[in-house]
Amino acid sequence: MTSFSPVKIFPLLLPAAFLLILGIVWLPGRLELLDNAYLHSFKASFIGILLEALPFVLAGALLSSLLRVFVPDEMISRWIPRRPVPAILFACLLGVLFPVCECGMIPLVRRLIHKGMPVYVAIVFILSGPILNPVVYGATITAFRTHPELAYARMGLAFAVAFIIGLIVYFTNTKSPLRLSARQENGVDHHQSARGGKAAAVFVHTSDEFFEMGKYLIIGCLLTSGIQTFMVQDSLAAIGGKPLGSYFFMMGLAFLLSLCSTSDAFVASTFLHAFPAGSLLAFMVLGPMLDFKNALMLLSLFKTRFALFLFFLIFSTVFIGSVWMSGWL
Amino acid sequence: MNESRSIRLHYLLRAVLLLAFALYIGHLAQQDALHYYVAPKLARWIKLCPIPLTLMALSLTVQALFGKGAALCDCDHRLPRWGIRSTVLYGLFLLPLLFGFLLPDRPLGSLAASVKGIELTYNIKEPDREVQFNTNDPFEVEFAQLAKLLYSQPVIPVYPDIFSETFGAIERYKQKFEGKDIAVSGFVYRENATTTNGPFALSRFLVQCCTADATPFGIMVYPGTPKSLPADTWVEVRGKLHVGKYKGKDIVQISAVSITPIPRPATPYIYTSPDSVAEWAKLQASGKSIR
Repeated sequence: MTSFSPVKIFPLLLPAAFLLILGIVWLPGRLELLDNAYLHSFKASFIGILLEALPFVLAGALLSSLLRVFVPDEMISRWIPRRPVPAILFACLLGVLFPVCECGMIPLVRRLIHKGMPVYVAIVFILSGPILNPVVYGATITAFRTHPELAYARMGLAFAVAFIIGLIVYFTNTKSPLRLSARQENGVDHHQSARGGKAAAVFVHTSDEFFEMGKYLIIGCLLTSGIQTFMVQDSLAAIGGKPLGSYFFMMGLAFLLSLCSTSDAFVASTFLHAFPAGSLLAFMVLGPMLDFKNALMLLSLFKTRFALFLFFLIFSTVFIGSVWMSGWL
Repeated sequence: MNESRSIRLHYLLRAVLLLAFALYIGHLAQQDALHYYVAPKLARWIKLCPIPLTLMALSLTVQALFGKGAALCDCDHRLPRWGIRSTVLYGLFLLPLLFGFLLPDRPLGSLAASVKGIELTYNIKEPDREVQFNTNDPFEVEFAQLAKLLYSQPVIPVYPDIFSETFGAIERYKQKFEGKDIAVSGFVYRENATTTNGPFALSRFLVQCCTADATPFGIMVYPGTPKSLPADTWVEVRGKLHVGKYKGKDIVQISAVSITPIPRPATPYIYTSPDSVAEWAKLQASGKSIR
C-alpha cells in the first residue's frame, strides 16, 4: 500500500530546492517581519499548550502500548458480563483501569469488537474511557483548583451520558453497525519479533501512538493558540453572556478544537471568567466524546447512519445533562 | 522501493523528529526558558519527557537499521503513504520545532494582555465593609494575616512569588493602606498602545499551568513626573498607595515617586502560592529582591 518510488520523488526535489534557496536568500532580510508581536504571542501560547500536553500524551501512548504488548485482548473480553447494566458498568470501569487517550481509543476498540465485545459495551468504553480515568481526573482537578466541583461534575456527567447512551444503543441497535467485516485485524502481533524484544516493541508502539495522536494534538494547539492570540476575549464575553448561546458556542468549540481529554481542562479554565460553569462542563464532557478528529475516526469504524445517530445522541445528552447540572455549579 | 524499505524510512524520519523534540526540551531546560511556557510544577514533568522520547527514537532506529524485513509490518495501516499525506504529517511535527528553534523565547506581553483583558482588581467578591484584620473564613484568615504583616513594613515590598496575594490582601483592606509606601516591579501595559507617557498598568501574567491559562494582572500607576515609557518596558515602581476610581470602580492605585527601567526578570510570570504567609516569612528571611 505504501507506494514509494524515486521516480515520484524526483519531480518534487526541484521545487523543494527552489524553495530552500529562496528561503535562504529571502529570510535574513525579512527577519524583522518575523519579529512581530503577534507571532511571539502565538509562539508563546502554541509552545505552552503543546509542552503542557506532552507528558500526558506520552504517558497515554506508553500505557496503551504496554497494554497492547502485555495484555491479550481475549482476557478483557472474557471478563465482560452478559447482562447489559453490569456490562455497561464494567465498560466504565475499563476506562478507570486503562487510561487510553481518545486518540488511541478507536484502534483498540475496533480490535475488542472483533474479539467479541458487544457494540454497546464498546460505545460506553469509547465515551467514558477518555474522561473517567485517574489521569484526566488529576488534570481537571489541577486546572480547576479553585473550583473542584467542576471536576466532580465532569466525572459524574460523563458517567451518566455514557450509561444512558449505552442503554439506548443496547435497546435500539439490532444489526451490526460496523462498516467493515472481520476481514482484517487478524491479530498476529508481528512486533513480538521486533529487534530488542518486547521492550523495543513497546516503544515502537508508543511512537506509533504518539504520531497518530500527535497530528491531531498539533492541529488542536495551532487552532487554540490562534484563537488565544487573535480573538479578543471581550467579544467572547458577549456570546458567553447569552445563557444558551454559551452552551452551543462552547460545545462547538470543543468539537472544533479536538483537544486531548487530558489537556482540555486547562483550556476550559481560561474561559472560567467569561462563561457560565455549565457551558464549561459541556465543553469538557463533549470534547473527549465527540470532536473533529474523533468523529472522523468513528465514521471510519461505524456505518454512516449509525455514526450520525451516535453523534446526535452524544450532543443532545451532553447538552441536556450540562444545562441540568449547571443548577448545582 | 518495497514496503519494508518504506517502513524503515518512516521509522528513521520519526526517530529524527522524536530526538529533535527531546533536544528541544533539553535546550529549553538548559536555557532556563521552560518557565516562559509552563508553570514550574508542570516543568518538572516536561523535563522527564526526553527520556521516553529518546527511548522511542532508539527503538525505532534499531528496527529501521537491524530489524528483520518480515518483522517490519505496517499491520494497522498506521503509516501514511509517501507523498502529500506524509509531507503534511511530518511537516506538522516540524512546525513546533521550527517555532521553537527559530524564534527567540519571549514571555507574553502587552498584546496578549489586551486580548485576554487585564484584571485590575484582585477580589472575586466585594470585601465586607468592616475594616478589621480578623475573620473566620480560612481563605480570608490568610489574607488578613498577610495584610497585618504587610502593614507593619515601612515600605511594602511586592514579591513576584506572592504578587497576586499581596495585592489581594491590600485590596481587601485598601482604606487602611491609603498612603502607605510600596515597591513593585512589572511590565508597562497601556490600553492605548500608541501613547508612551501618562498612567499605565504595571502588569504581570499569572500562570496556573501553561501560557494558555495566563491571566494578566495589573496595578494602575500614575507617574509623578511625565516620563516616556513604551509598552512592555520592565520597570520598578516606588510610590504611595491610593484608592482611586477607574471606570467607575474603586481600585488600588500607585502614585509613583520613582520609576526605574530594569532588565526583564528571569521569572517574568507570577504563580499562586498555597500559603502566602509562610512564603512571605521565607522571602523576608532570604532578603530576596522584588524583581
